[in-house]
Amino acid sequence: MDAQFLIEAETLATVLDQIDYFNVLKVPYSASPGDIKKAYYRESRSFHPDRFAAHPGAELREMVGRIYRRVNEAYTVLRDDRKRARYLADVTGPDRAKKLRFTEAEEAAVKEEAKKKIEEQFGQTPNGRRFYAAAMTEMQASRWEPAARALRSALMYEPQNAKFREMLAQVEKELEKGRSKGDQFKIR
Amino acid sequence: MSDPIAIGIDLGTSYSCVAAVTDPGAPPQVLPNEWGERTHASCVSFLDDGTVLVGNNAKKNIITNAENTVYSAKRLIGRFFFSDEVKKAQAVMPYEIVEGPNNSVRVQVKGKAFAVPEISALVLKEMKAIAETSLGHEVKQAVVTCPAYFNDNQRQATKDAGRIAGLEVLRIINEPTAAALAYGFGRDISQKICVYDLGGGTFDVSILEIGKDVFEVLSTAGDTYLGGDDFDDRIMTWLADDFLSKHGLDLRQNKYCLQMLKEAGERAKIEVGRDGVADIFVQGVCQSPEGEVLDLKQHLETEAFNRMVMDLVQRTFKVCDEALQSARLTAADVDAVILVGGPTRLPIIRTGVRHYFQKEPMTGIDPDEVVALGASIQAAALLNSQAAVYGQASYLLDVTPLTLRIGTVGGFTERIIDKNTPIPIEKSKTFTTSRDGQDKVRIRVYQGEASKAEECELLGEFEFTGFRIGYRGEVQIQVTFEIDSNGIVNVAATDLETGQKTSTTINLSSGLSEADLQTAIDANSEIELARDVRAA
Repeated sequence: MDAQFLIEAETLATVLDQIDYFNVLKVPYSASPGDIKKAYYRESRSFHPDRFAAHPGAELREMVGRIYRRVNEAYTVLRDDRKRARYLADVTGPDRAKKLRFTEAEEAAVKEEAKKKIEEQFGQTPNGRRFYAAAMTEMQASRWEPAARALRSALMYEPQNAKFREMLAQVEKELEKGRSKGDQFKIR
Repeated sequence: MSDPIAIGIDLGTSYSCVAAVTDPGAPPQVLPNEWGERTHASCVSFLDDGTVLVGNNAKKNIITNAENTVYSAKRLIGRFFFSDEVKKAQAVMPYEIVEGPNNSVRVQVKGKAFAVPEISALVLKEMKAIAETSLGHEVKQAVVTCPAYFNDNQRQATKDAGRIAGLEVLRIINEPTAAALAYGFGRDISQKICVYDLGGGTFDVSILEIGKDVFEVLSTAGDTYLGGDDFDDRIMTWLADDFLSKHGLDLRQNKYCLQMLKEAGERAKIEVGRDGVADIFVQGVCQSPEGEVLDLKQHLETEAFNRMVMDLVQRTFKVCDEALQSARLTAADVDAVILVGGPTRLPIIRTGVRHYFQKEPMTGIDPDEVVALGASIQAAALLNSQAAVYGQASYLLDVTPLTLRIGTVGGFTERIIDKNTPIPIEKSKTFTTSRDGQDKVRIRVYQGEASKAEECELLGEFEFTGFRIGYRGEVQIQVTFEIDSNGIVNVAATDLETGQKTSTTINLSSGLSEADLQTAIDANSEIELARDVRAA
């Protein structure tokens, strides 16, 4: 049994609850999905329990089992873009010590954030969504006046919606362009 | 001293196969029986002399010794008595299926009630005997395969079957993963592959990424109610309806006629798949009320057959959609497709696969043997004492196929570990007591994708005791859910304040208790396998 490997494994097992998932996979916070997969394969070659299935030491097998379950946990979170973003914010923030394991509270928060993003994109109320969808169709066909009307209706239902305001500003810009061009043909 | 040899066993619904790596570094070999047969019917026939006949010869007894011949036990293993599959089996199987304790299933043969793992254990006992005869020495350890989509109850029951047969089950591995291993082992390839596994009773799809020596399962999906037997059923229904219209008699009403119908259906399926046509003739299939002996005669063409089974084929591709979606891939991203299971020889399946993946499935890999070969590679790997120092030749990174859940109020469930999470894995959840002086905490654990508990599979009710008693909300218990490399669930709890492990009892589980297992092990060792005597 390679003494160096044994030392590394024992050290890792001891600090397992004090390090974050990036440390477990030995990747930097800036790691790409490709880096994370490579790291996962590398750590699997070292710590997959099957490698030690025939090893007589029960303690060693138990230790490797603990490490590898954490490796799988780390991979499950870091390979998911949304979870990784959330996790990164958690462990670089003030609550780091408490957020080393990605709990169901975090999973729920990720789902909530995703839901909110969609709602912000397309509206939170049924009528808001309807008028916004109609506005999108009009915008696609460059019918700016009807698009502006639809967006103003949507904003009636959701005055706080930043996306709707942004779209309306865009449409009004298009209308301005149209108006100034149109002036050129006015008989002075 | 060299490592002992462990065998790999493909325990199939209709056929089983056993293989081993006989020389370290050499490719795995299928171990044939003394008649040179490489696959063996998963059929168990209890003979009058008290011995048990297992294998291809036992299949004949399905008609002659119908009540005492058990087959397709895999359709029942690990299931609850009230499940649809068991009810369906009760209606068509010639052997008696009865209810056991805790909603479990028992097979009643010759006045004795066998748990389903005990029946499968007899098949495994035969595989063990075949291996020992072929290798010339005793075999004590094995890797046994199961469908990727098997739930915890089914996996545990399969593992129990191994124990009852006197084997140390080193691992339960998923059939598609075993097939991928047999395909990619030692080939140093980097590919995304899809394993399309259509067996006698189950259908699995697994998407894997092979990175030289690493076999990572990206996703798995399946249907444990879909297999080659269902294709037979379609032919059987057509034959029975046709006979009914011609003679006014429903062959399905008599279990004896039904068996002959089943055999005819299976033969017809193979013939029409191989030759494009099938001429069905069952002499003396039944007798009319007037005493006239009637024959069953029919002619089946490919087009008619394809129409009969088209919906089954389409179901398989819906499962493929699901697996690809979970893996976030499209059919075009798949580099190679491997076919597993006898029914994949049917032209309609091959055409469907070719069309769906826009490429030819890999040939040159025997769909009946590939799973056993893969299992034997894994068996050799798990016994390799050099691996701890030098690493393994291949690494299997598998996933759990079903979401692990716990019961919450109102008959709903909450997710704990998602499906397609790499295993082994653990997840903890903290519970607090809801009453002053509470001394027990009970949690129901399920597997499945539905949020309603009644639509999921109940694994058991775990009861934790032995923690500190206090006011409600004061006592915190951390429950850790672990899924091991077999895909089997373990649950343990600790009192968060003292760090003490609580005592755990499992109720409502349909599995065999340790005491029942010991009895079954003893009983199995007493059973003598019939010597398969044939004309030379």
